[in-house]
Amino acid sequence: MKLLKPSWVNHNGKPIFSVDIHPDGTKFATGGQGEDSGKVVIWNMAPVLREEDEKNENIPKLLCQMDNHLACVNCVRWSNNGLYLASGGDDKLVMVWKRAAFIGPSTVFGSSSKLANVEQWRCVMILRNHTGDVMDVAWSPHDVWLASCSVDNTIVIWNARKFPEIVMTLKGHTGLVKGLTWDPVGKYIASQADDHSLKVWRTMDWQMETNITKPFSECGGTTHVLRLSWSPDGQYLVSAHAMNNSGPTAQIIERDGWKTNMDFVGHRKAVTVVKFNPKIFKKKQKNGSTPKPSCPYCCCAVGSKDRSLSVWLTSLKRPLVVIHDLFDKSIMDITWTLNGLGLLVCSMDGTVAFLDFSQDELGDPLNEEEKNAIHQNIYGKSLAITMESHLSSTIIENPEMLKYQQERQGNQNPNGAQGSGPENQTPKLTNVLNGESLEDIRKNLLKKQVETRTADGRRRITPLCIAQLDTGDFSPALFNSVPILPGSSASTQLTPQISSDSSTANSLVYMYVTSYFPALSQPMEPMKALDSRFTERSKATPGVTSVPLTIGITPLDRVKDSSSVKEPKVKDETSSDSEDKIMAKPLSMAKRKGEMEGAEVVEKRKKGRPRKDSFIRTHVMSVRIKDKTKEPSRLITPVAVLKLPTPSIQKSFSTQVSTDAIAYLEVENEVSVVSGARLSQLKWSRDGREWDTLLTSRITIATGSSDIVAVACEDRTLSVFTTCGRRLIPSIMLPAPLAALHCSGHFVMVLMASATLSVWDVQKQTALVKNESLNPILSGTDATVSQSFLTQQGVAVVSLSNGKTYCFNSSLETWNLIADKQDSLVQCADFRNCLTSQDALGSMGPLALTQGRNLSAGRLASRLSSTPHHLQQGMTLAFLENQLSSALMLLSASEYRHWLLIYARFLVNEGYEMRLRELCQDLLGPVHKSSSSSWEPTVLGLRKRDLLTEVLPVIGQNLRFQRLFTEYQDQLELLRLK
Amino acid sequence: MAKVQVLNVAVLDNPSPFGNPFQFEITFECMEDLPEDLEWKIIYVGSAESEEYDQVLDSVLVGPVPAGRHMFVFQADAPNTGLIPESDAVGVTVVLITCTYRGQEFIRIGYYVNNEYTDPELRENPPVKPNYTQLQRNILASNPRVTRFHINWEATMDKMEDSENVDPAPNTMLPPTSMPSKAQPLGLMPDNSMDCL
Repeated sequence: MKLLKPSWVNHNGKPIFSVDIHPDGTKFATGGQGEDSGKVVIWNMAPVLREEDEKNENIPKLLCQMDNHLACVNCVRWSNNGLYLASGGDDKLVMVWKRAAFIGPSTVFGSSSKLANVEQWRCVMILRNHTGDVMDVAWSPHDVWLASCSVDNTIVIWNARKFPEIVMTLKGHTGLVKGLTWDPVGKYIASQADDHSLKVWRTMDWQMETNITKPFSECGGTTHVLRLSWSPDGQYLVSAHAMNNSGPTAQIIERDGWKTNMDFVGHRKAVTVVKFNPKIFKKKQKNGSTPKPSCPYCCCAVGSKDRSLSVWLTSLKRPLVVIHDLFDKSIMDITWTLNGLGLLVCSMDGTVAFLDFSQDELGDPLNEEEKNAIHQNIYGKSLAITMESHLSSTIIENPEMLKYQQERQGNQNPNGAQGSGPENQTPKLTNVLNGESLEDIRKNLLKKQVETRTADGRRRITPLCIAQLDTGDFSPALFNSVPILPGSSASTQLTPQISSDSSTANSLVYMYVTSYFPALSQPMEPMKALDSRFTERSKATPGVTSVPLTIGITPLDRVKDSSSVKEPKVKDETSSDSEDKIMAKPLSMAKRKGEMEGAEVVEKRKKGRPRKDSFIRTHVMSVRIKDKTKEPSRLITPVAVLKLPTPSIQKSFSTQVSTDAIAYLEVENEVSVVSGARLSQLKWSRDGREWDTLLTSRITIATGSSDIVAVACEDRTLSVFTTCGRRLIPSIMLPAPLAALHCSGHFVMVLMASATLSVWDVQKQTALVKNESLNPILSGTDATVSQSFLTQQGVAVVSLSNGKTYCFNSSLETWNLIADKQDSLVQCADFRNCLTSQDALGSMGPLALTQGRNLSAGRLASRLSSTPHHLQQGMTLAFLENQLSSALMLLSASEYRHWLLIYARFLVNEGYEMRLRELCQDLLGPVHKSSSSSWEPTVLGLRKRDLLTEVLPVIGQNLRFQRLFTEYQDQLELLRLK
Repeated sequence: MAKVQVLNVAVLDNPSPFGNPFQFEITFECMEDLPEDLEWKIIYVGSAESEEYDQVLDSVLVGPVPAGRHMFVFQADAPNTGLIPESDAVGVTVVLITCTYRGQEFIRIGYYVNNEYTDPELRENPPVKPNYTQLQRNILASNPRVTRFHINWEATMDKMEDSENVDPAPNTMLPPTSMPSKAQPLGLMPDNSMDCL
């Protein structure tokens, strides 16, 4: 055994009340008294373990210190998964700490300390309930609950999955509760108090299982803590301070019948802390000796007020080792490393000691499998739980499930590993906020920040929210940063003499420091007087009233109650709109410069809008309805008002037809006049092949798809040709002049100036949409049609200038809203964690086209600081369901599949079992054929059961749904065999 | 614990002519949504001798403050020179930024300010009546003095059990006599540290 007292682990001489080693063994936390507050410090373990690391200047010893507790910290405990640290203190609070996602050293503002926090641990939750000092905290196995006990005689069980929810307050102690321990099997929690009792509570109903008083009847109430411990096999509970024959002991309580027949004797003063080694050991097999079966045993460390530490093996009658006078004052806490060979002890005297055992001394630790076997032996299969602390509390019943679980863990591990080591930190200095760097924001902050006046005429500034609390997406760039120098923000007040660059400005400051600091060494009355001003709180500051300020605020800038929530919303909208503007621009340009050469227009379009999607044709037309307000007389008959502008007739123009193989349509109007009739020429060319045809009226619009070419003429006729130039149908007479014309596949869509829509399938020669009015979507709004297109499946889509996009469903004969840019659901839905790396690229299809960058809108969601989780959840759910039904409506199979998988992932992550079941049921359909069933085996040409096969692995990632997973997996398998 | 932590104060436009407005870019973090506004003040200490010459240059309300990290620029006009004792115009003084919540001051950030003539001629022979147009204000931005006070953040009027001064830089400039100590019984606390109650 090696013993080490690392002197650098200290709270500047103040007592250390608690110590706990992180489950990954790379760091440990101490809690205790700070300068004038409670203090939690996180230390690097490596310098304790290895001398060379201790000497290496580059390896940090202190990782983070937190002075947030108002009063002494009595207990620090890491959660079993290592993500959280809980601390409880004399300020009656329990704080839960989490490491901030971004990493970068920082100091406390205004602190002279050069010691930067290497890691950022932030308080993510303050648990307020106790009315007295919190003495001990304990995470349940698998971190389901967090228990805290207090001098208010109660134990509070917090729901660790849903802080700050309280599961139960355990009442029954009549004295200060000073220690807690969970049964490793998860059935019980035990507490020890000053009321001479140790109580065991059931986790099933939170009622008391047993109350043990006899060994404690002689105890006085003078121990600061009573940290009891449960053995890793669950068989023994060992109390802190107990008495036997007037001698202090640690009472051993057997799980079986709560018998109290044994104790650890030998300490001269009260036992303050007992801590079982997390490992179960078996005898080391020595070479040469005959191997004989030996019983596994546990190891336990006992610390006492007598300043000594003893380590016991349950297989030995005497302690393995006793170390006297390890400290100057009482031992306060003990923690073992996860491998069971190291031990940290802390003391009231403000120091810690590290004990390092060898396997020869303690024995061979059992591996997890063997440990599980013991558990299974003792508690039976149903009770046995895996001690693997990373796994959730459920047993994996299905081998497929196990596979998905392992895959998932494999995926998570790289991230986890990065977060744990203090060495591999990657300070991310470029914090981008809505595409703006922090520096940009800082430069314009004064101009940008919203300033209003309250009713009583006071200035009120709305601060710019630069980071949401729980994202951890904080920029370290702020800390220790050089202030922005004049010239950026205060250009108006700039005078030549100060427009120096940063280096000279800094040197000025330092020169100045040296010039007046010597003066400080001699006590100077005025300086002293000044100094006192730093620390004294002002009385209602006397004397002078404030000088009237001169910052002008234009009424326009006043935004009542404009919250920081609103601001980014607006920003995002403009940005997502801009894409559409870009799309519409080339065309409106073409319209304005109507007489321009057609070829040039084509050029512009190609540059302005490079399209990559090969399967969707999007001949975007920018059309605008005449402003109604200008013609008030027409308002009486709103249907007649709706009139879409028709494109002007150009002498010649050309358009690109299909995107897969470049095909061009060239139109030349009035090429020749034959017997009084003006002839117009339509010319089609593709890869050198070309044809032309003549029409008797001037051509207004020509467009084509991979299968057909459609041309609309001035005389309201519509002609449709094959791509070889054969006329498919005689000229269609349109009821009104044409506003927009689109082709896609065998479908032709016309939008007429009378604001009616028709879609034909020219191959089957049927009408899909017949003179359907746009009135339902246009009436009551000032919106104009900003864009229209036809999907490959022949669904007509019309976007309006108010951001709404509709498609016409010919079977329902309804207009359906498929996208709305103003929709708050789009803004707030947050499903990023449901996106895989492939998904992140987004889906290609008509839905994506109409909605623009909805993925970035989802990103905005995290910035909305004050949306409660359940609301956010609901919005995301609604949004995803909208997407799914919209994709269905648009007959866009690939998008349907894309959103279906995201939807499934979201349901799995958020635990919507009902919906998940409904989804699976629909995808699976009836297992046995029945005539009454109306179930369609396919959706949009996708086989539903294939979709289910894709969804199942997603479900398999959440252990909670393993029954659901198994159920559908089996049924699917059954169907496959059929 | 304090719901609001000041993370950084950047002194903008520094050094600058005496008449320029003060500009501080303040970054703070809030643990949870604050139902009420924060009130920030800039106080210019006109004379070390007496609080009488303190000028509140400006006070602003900052809100709403949801949980998260926020920043804003606090700009206030230069002090009214008519209210500064002539003998104290040139030399070292202090500017204070304070923040109160529900009328209770919980942080006080102090900076030394040096006002001096840039012109060597004037520096040698300063005029009896200070020439403010020639004065340059230099805030010692690198050395803020931060004092934090514990206040009652909740609306309920819980009695506060202790009042505490945290000086993160006790090694500099602070005379030992003014070192606050938690160990002091409440009765011995300076009057002005409890006035918020």
